[in-house]
Amino acid sequence: MGTLRLLAAMAWRNLWSHKGKNILVGILMLFGTFLVVLGTSVLDSIDQAMTRSITQSVAGHLQVYSKNARDPLALYGSGYMGADDLGVMPDFARVKAVVSAVPGVRAVIPMGMDAFEIYTATELDYAIERLRKALEAGEQARVDDVARRIRAMATLLREELERRKLLLSNHAEIDRQLAIIDRVRGDAFWAELPAAPLAGVEYLDTQLAPLVDENEGYFLQVLGTDVQRFAQSFGQFELVSGQMIPEGERGVLLNQKYYDDYLRNMVARGFDARRRDIEEKGKRFADDPLMRAKVERMVRQYRRVTFQLEPAQAEELAAKLRAFLPGAQGSIDELVQQFLRLDDQNFAARYEFFFDEIAPRIRLYLFNVGETLTVRAFTRSGMIKSANVKVWGTFRFKGLEKSELAGGHNLMDMMTFRDLYGLMTADKRAELAGIQAEVGLKDVGRDSAEAELFGGGAAVEQQREQAQGFDEFAGVALGGRERAQANGHFDPALLDQGMAINAAIILDDIARLEEARGAVQAALDQAGLDVQVVDWETASGIIGQVVVLVRVVLYIAIGIIFLVALVIINNTMVMATMERVMEIGTMRAIGAQASLVRWLLLLETLMLGLLSGALGAALGYWLVSSLGTSGIPAPADELIFLFAGPRLFPAAGLGNVLAGFAAIVVVSLLAILYPATIATRIQPVVAMSPRE
Amino acid sequence: MEAMVELRKVSKEYPLGKLTVRALAEMDLCIGKGEFTVVAGPSGSGKTTLLNMVGCVDVPSSGEVLIEGQPTSRLKDRARTKLRLHKLGFIFQTFNLIPVLTAEQNVEFPLLLQGELSRAERRARVREMLELVGLGALVRQRPNEMSGGQRQRVAIARALVSLPHIVLADEPTANLDTATGLTIIELMKKLNRERQTTFIFSTHDPRVMEHARRIVRIVDGRIEGDATCGGSA
Ligand SMILES: Nc1ncnc2c1ncn2[C@@H]1O[C@H](COP(=O)(O)OP(=O)(O)O)[C@@H](O)[C@H]1O
Ligand SMILES: [Mg+2]
Repeated sequence: MGTLRLLAAMAWRNLWSHKGKNILVGILMLFGTFLVVLGTSVLDSIDQAMTRSITQSVAGHLQVYSKNARDPLALYGSGYMGADDLGVMPDFARVKAVVSAVPGVRAVIPMGMDAFEIYTATELDYAIERLRKALEAGEQARVDDVARRIRAMATLLREELERRKLLLSNHAEIDRQLAIIDRVRGDAFWAELPAAPLAGVEYLDTQLAPLVDENEGYFLQVLGTDVQRFAQSFGQFELVSGQMIPEGERGVLLNQKYYDDYLRNMVARGFDARRRDIEEKGKRFADDPLMRAKVERMVRQYRRVTFQLEPAQAEELAAKLRAFLPGAQGSIDELVQQFLRLDDQNFAARYEFFFDEIAPRIRLYLFNVGETLTVRAFTRSGMIKSANVKVWGTFRFKGLEKSELAGGHNLMDMMTFRDLYGLMTADKRAELAGIQAEVGLKDVGRDSAEAELFGGGAAVEQQREQAQGFDEFAGVALGGRERAQANGHFDPALLDQGMAINAAIILDDIARLEEARGAVQAALDQAGLDVQVVDWETASGIIGQVVVLVRVVLYIAIGIIFLVALVIINNTMVMATMERVMEIGTMRAIGAQASLVRWLLLLETLMLGLLSGALGAALGYWLVSSLGTSGIPAPADELIFLFAGPRLFPAAGLGNVLAGFAAIVVVSLLAILYPATIATRIQPVVAMSPRE
Repeated sequence: MEAMVELRKVSKEYPLGKLTVRALAEMDLCIGKGEFTVVAGPSGSGKTTLLNMVGCVDVPSSGEVLIEGQPTSRLKDRARTKLRLHKLGFIFQTFNLIPVLTAEQNVEFPLLLQGELSRAERRARVREMLELVGLGALVRQRPNEMSGGQRQRVAIARALVSLPHIVLADEPTANLDTATGLTIIELMKKLNRERQTTFIFSTHDPRVMEHARRIVRIVDGRIEGDATCGGSA
């Protein structure tokens, strides 16, 4: 007891009597502990945030999907958007019944992911419709105005195609398209129009309009699901505009991020992006060449505003712009271009003018909430299917508004999804079998289906062309082999009947995830269902690995720092031991055992470790706590998902502090191992002879 | 006279490059209980080497060292350390106090290693020793706050506190001025008289030698004169 006290006293005093060495070593240990506390706290917080992001947005706690899948389930994309072969669970109701019976399961939500093409009326479609009406009414002035517009659009399209031509080796198709465009641009077409208005409008409708569609196609990443149950089960879901799809109704809810990023008017999008640059990123036009380049592009996009204006509106706006831009002259086109030349001085005023005066006169989105759009799919059987679906509203995942990953999912009712996906009814299966028999194929894979079933791309193309032809702009019907019922009602009980590709399982208690996973798998196996269960981390694909990666990187970094610290501490301690040879030799001579010397050094280093560790942990705890109040801003939009929002609010727990202490104790003991061994080898005889 | 220390044909050789230096050459020596012995000889004659052998801090190349009749050359490090702790006291030329400990703690150190006395007993013993060497007032001082003479007194107290049978002092006065050196010698003599502790100390200072009761002279690792127990006493 007394010995221990003496050792402790000696160790303690030795700490202070070898200040230089101990301050160096102490700072290293302090820094190491600080880093462990900070690093593990932030990581744990990211872990929790990401768990929330993933489990509360799309994944749920567990996911089930077919054992026959050829690709692993990747809810946030595997890099092959929509092309993963995940197989199908043909009878979701059965899966649901089996899974729901497992204790601890709160909800089972059917899902299916695919990428569809969406079509909506384009500016050209609107112009053609105006032309038709003007021709019917016989108003030559309006016909001329619209004709001018259509020819300008054709010119624009021509420029686009010429650019594309440079990149292609086979010009045949482009040349065909260019011929159509040139005909519309030419005077002859318009001269003939009054004589045969119907034929002329039809030519525009069937020949020119498809070229625009082709060049302005949009892909819609769709998550088919029981939308009502989805909204109730996923805590991060939040309706932004419009309304929830009523029960028993078909339709889609668009992700606000997708809606803003892809469907919003380009000029409006430009104004918003520049405002974010200025307000959130603190950029200035004057010092940022990229921002200036973007302004140049915006100026070139002036037609996105002017093409939408009726002649009267154009007059009105031109007058306002002349008043707003002192000394400005010229046509509406020139005025808008001038207006779009943004700089640091005029930005705020022009932003306001744009949204107050211009935005209300144009369509801000390709289509609005409440409108119907045509969704077209290449089904797995290789057929083209289309459906008209109402856009009921937009939604977001709370905190993930800016995340690319969370923005990838648009919700669609499961019934429409099944129609478009194509493998639902026995009828359709029989039909497919028929087609397959005709073509002489046993199994038609998704990749080869197009070519094999329709004899190559040309057939599909042909079908596509037939598919065009908007008769009315409110509900556009596309041709094709199948036509799904638009805006049809359905019996909500049918939602569970039929296929699902995957399903999310929400548990009562996430802490018992592994246990539940086993139980669900066992139940499915026992029921003879070919369905596999994965946890949300696995289901989220590459994203789930990111945290693992970040963790590995951090641990390697901490490992390296500790290794360096270890070497430095070791060397310093060896040197310090050498300086104390006389003292240690004396202790040995007067009867101290070698083990006592070892204990003394161990105790010294441990004390230093705990002392600097306490300081480092306190510092780390303090920093994490203050970051927990102010939040760490996500350095990139990609990280918002990991942070479960634009800022991460980390919190340090006892575990993090203990981890810091444990690490420093281990490092201290490792670092002193060799010096202590050297010290025990010091012979008592060195005390006898005065230092040489 | 009872033999306290006995050397039988003890040789000690040090390797020095390709040569070997023979610091002790088949030395026989007997020192009796309660003797106050000075080992004298010129520098490099082997005094320190001899004391190292007697103090069991080093092993002879050949021959045997017996402490109170017990052979020591084959002892393991632990046993040798234990023997030093319980039977021997050391006074060093450079005092060798533990710098971070106070005078009192330095003196207490061997008692703590022995672990036989209670705290109160230890304190009493330490005080007694410090009184004995005339340092009762300096208990809380650290070595660097004391003069050379004071430090050597603390060292003497530390050597004696465990009531060793033999006290070894290698040139204890070499780093002290003459007057202080003489008082230290006087102190050691007094302790030898009062406690019958066997003292062996080395010196090459003729004035110090005057105080010795027995002088063992060595030249080139050999004893000149009487080496038997109680020799010249
Ligand atoms: N560790 C050693 N290595 C080599 N030679 C040594 C060593 N210690 C002592 N010697 C040599 O042994 C001889 C005796 O030395 P020492 O016992 O220190 O003499 P003294 O104490 O009388 O001055 C000297 O020649 C010295 O150089
Ligand atoms: Mg010597």
